[in-house]
Amino acid sequence: MKSNQDILPPKSADRFFKWYCNDALFDSIYGDLYERFLENIEANGEKKAKRKYWVDVIRFMNKHTLKRSNKTSQFNSNNTAMFSNYFKVGFRNLIKNKSFTIINVLGLSVSMAVCLVIILMINDQMGYDNFQTNRDKIYRFTHERTNGNVGLPIATVPMPIGERIQSDYSGIKELVRFRRGLNGEILQNGKAISLVGYYTDPSFFDMFSFELEQGDKKTALVNPNSVVLRKDIAEKLFPGKNPIGETIELSENGTYLVTGVLEEFPGKTHIQFEALASMSSVSTLEKDGTLKSVQQNWQSTTASWVYFTLNDGADLGSVQSYLTDYENENYDETTEYIVEFNIQKMTDITPGPLYGNQIGSAMPNFFVYGLGILALLIIICAAFNYTNLSAARALTRTKEVGVRKVMGARKRQLTLQFIVESILVSMLSLVVAIGLLQFLIPAFEGLQMSSLLSWDLKMTGKAYLQFFVFSIGVGLITGLFPALYMSSFQPIQAMKSIISSNKLSKVSLRKALIVSQFVISLVLVVSSTLVFKQVKFMIEKDYGYAKENIINVQLQGQDFGILKTELQKLPFVNEISGTNNIPNTGMHYDIEVRRNSPDEPMDFNYFSVDESYIDNLELELIAGSNFIPGQGEGNEKAIIINETAVKDLGFDSPINAVGETVTLMDSTIVSISGVVKDYNYMVLYMEINPLVLRYRSDEFNYAQVKLSGFDISGEIQQIENVWEEFDPNHEFQFNTFQGQIDEFNAFFFDIIYIIGLISFLSISIAGMGLLGIATYSIQIRLKEVSVRKVLGASVKGLILLLSKGFLKLFAIAMVIGFSLAYLGNSAWLNGFAYRVNFGIGIFLIAASAMVIIGISTIGLQAYRATSNNPADALRDD
Amino acid sequence: MNSKIGEFEEIVLLLVAAQHEEAYGLSVTKAIEKELKRSVTMSSVHTALYRLEEKGLVSSFIGDAEGNRRGRRKRVFVITALGKKALKAARDARNHIYNMIPKFMLDIA
Repeated sequence: MKSNQDILPPKSADRFFKWYCNDALFDSIYGDLYERFLENIEANGEKKAKRKYWVDVIRFMNKHTLKRSNKTSQFNSNNTAMFSNYFKVGFRNLIKNKSFTIINVLGLSVSMAVCLVIILMINDQMGYDNFQTNRDKIYRFTHERTNGNVGLPIATVPMPIGERIQSDYSGIKELVRFRRGLNGEILQNGKAISLVGYYTDPSFFDMFSFELEQGDKKTALVNPNSVVLRKDIAEKLFPGKNPIGETIELSENGTYLVTGVLEEFPGKTHIQFEALASMSSVSTLEKDGTLKSVQQNWQSTTASWVYFTLNDGADLGSVQSYLTDYENENYDETTEYIVEFNIQKMTDITPGPLYGNQIGSAMPNFFVYGLGILALLIIICAAFNYTNLSAARALTRTKEVGVRKVMGARKRQLTLQFIVESILVSMLSLVVAIGLLQFLIPAFEGLQMSSLLSWDLKMTGKAYLQFFVFSIGVGLITGLFPALYMSSFQPIQAMKSIISSNKLSKVSLRKALIVSQFVISLVLVVSSTLVFKQVKFMIEKDYGYAKENIINVQLQGQDFGILKTELQKLPFVNEISGTNNIPNTGMHYDIEVRRNSPDEPMDFNYFSVDESYIDNLELELIAGSNFIPGQGEGNEKAIIINETAVKDLGFDSPINAVGETVTLMDSTIVSISGVVKDYNYMVLYMEINPLVLRYRSDEFNYAQVKLSGFDISGEIQQIENVWEEFDPNHEFQFNTFQGQIDEFNAFFFDIIYIIGLISFLSISIAGMGLLGIATYSIQIRLKEVSVRKVLGASVKGLILLLSKGFLKLFAIAMVIGFSLAYLGNSAWLNGFAYRVNFGIGIFLIAASAMVIIGISTIGLQAYRATSNNPADALRDD
Repeated sequence: MNSKIGEFEEIVLLLVAAQHEEAYGLSVTKAIEKELKRSVTMSSVHTALYRLEEKGLVSSFIGDAEGNRRGRRKRVFVITALGKKALKAARDARNHIYNMIPKFMLDIA
């Protein structure tokens, strides 16, 4: 029979009592409760005794027994005085465990540096239009096409919307229209300088906070043919002169009088322009046909932007209801588009969602989010390291915790101490990270896309403050778990090191952290290898035409024929052909083709070429003949098509297609004179489409010059000399064929660069974390290993024993990581017509990277532990 | 210091004095149950003891852990000089009132 003393009071009641009871009273009351419990068992039996115990526990809850807040505590001392001690002990600990400190600081600082760059980027994006005093009151109209396949909302609207809403609704305070079309070249001192800007209303200066350095804001944009210039442009056009009162001759757009020079903008703005001309200039230009007629045209939806502010008391709802009227009035099934108008607040523009026809280039906000997520991933990896290592190292700190508790430290104080330590680490990392930033920022700004989006990564005081807050946040978050864990040790257990056996067995959290770290790095490694392979595949793929030694010279409006005769005099020029477009650079021209005129038209791509094109690019003519040299315009009645076009037009074979006629556009009837073998002229993620080569010398934009290639730079120099004589007004602009394609592909290189960098970071952080954990977990088993060795275990067996646990984690990480990587990457790869396959190779690369890291960390540590002299480890016992 | 004590507190104080240097929460509870045949919860006795301690009528120290208490030490209460005075005052007040009762009435009882 079991004695009464084996019966324990209900555990839950005990826990509850311990939870609420004041420590000072706990022992005496608990003892009483237990004594009473035993008596009750004797008197009333176990069941009733347990119930009574519960009742007693609950009844004991009163103001004497409840735990007190610190304020009323007898230990209420000046906690802040302990801070200096926390820092001191923290520093000593960091110095004592150099390897852990290095792992933590390195991992954190590298990932922090990337996060800091992203903070700067987000700052840059948030900085748009902050100098506009009206920014919260300005709205603009946007539209969406509910039919047609443009899925994006569009920032432009038909121009008449402005006048209509102003006359219909009295709530509109100011309204500014921007109309595109102010582009052209200004001939200045024999050089052509291009100018891009908008026509706009005089109210521009009332609504937006742009200031004029010279000129009068009220009148500058009133008269027709007046123009206001950005400061740097004015200086470029009129160096050393006062631009006011000067005139500029802007190609076919006419002559403009400079009436103002803008002050330098105090910040970034989403409205990007070099010059603004008065809207009153537009009517004449539209009348004489220089500009398309859009001022009264509701069907022209892409030429103008309309911004407005409201009077006090006016509301957007009524504006929106007028917009609905305009939609119904102007658009139905018979118009080209069915349009839906919307209103967008100016502060939502940049950063904001992706819109078509933006008034300046802007990074869509999902891109910012994407970068943010990547940054978050690596900072999480690094934070895991800290959490993991400090939780593992907790053992060595148990004695300290015990002593501190005995000396009267409260749990809260200990938590604070460990958090201070982790903040110390994150601060240290911040210093290193800011150092790293000096290298990272130029690298980021060197990316193709950053020049496109004109990132301006400034290290302002505000940015430093954000960094500071960020690193404190990182320190807090990473330190919280270890701090709570370590401060919860009971002093007696801590001093006896009982924790080692039972608390460390609950390491599932740490295991989960290691696994997730490796899953993240595996996914990134697999993805970056895939992206790299895909891009390499696309770049190295045989395009089916020759591009070696060819340079593309921009004609800049000059006559191709004359240039050709000039260049042909050079001995090293092998071939010259003219074209409107360079293949594989993202641009393509479309043309409608019909085999018989009643047929549905098909959209083919087309290139305008001359008779040398096929020879120059070494295309293979598989049937028929080339354009006839010397025939000139006579060739315009003939076309050459590719094999895909033969198939799409429904001819049995290339031979049969030759000599047939097709209709281009509405009525141009041409005959097929030849068929070329399919070659790849599209962006490489698309299939080869049907293609038409037309003879249209008036459309040429480029002269493609094939050089002999013995001395490329010298030969280019000589061509430049010819150009200088030929057209002194324009600068010689050229690129090599390959260079031009690479320029277009630079975007892909950027992506490789970013993903590669981040996956490298994450795998090295994961590796460092593993090294730390392995070092530690083997350290605490050193005695066990020594005893085993003394008893005759082999080194091989010991290494296996020590690595076994990690092997399991690796296996789990690989299964999860590879499946995630497969799913994620299939999604984007399917968008490519020519794609690489996963293959076993990619997974092998990732797996072997893991194995190498594993062997070099765990294996090495295990080997070191086992090859030690067991006597060294056991001597002290 | 206000050393007015209630009836229950007086009983507890009496018993603390009676169980000289042996009084702790449970012992006092049991004594009340036994001597006064009155059911009382342990928590109310503890509370009374703490209140007496706050009033300075008893003092406490951490005692030993003998008995079936899973090694938990007792909190032993002893009466202070102030406590003795209070007891005496209470008793004197009672006696005074007792003496006011006409003698003949007591005879019947």
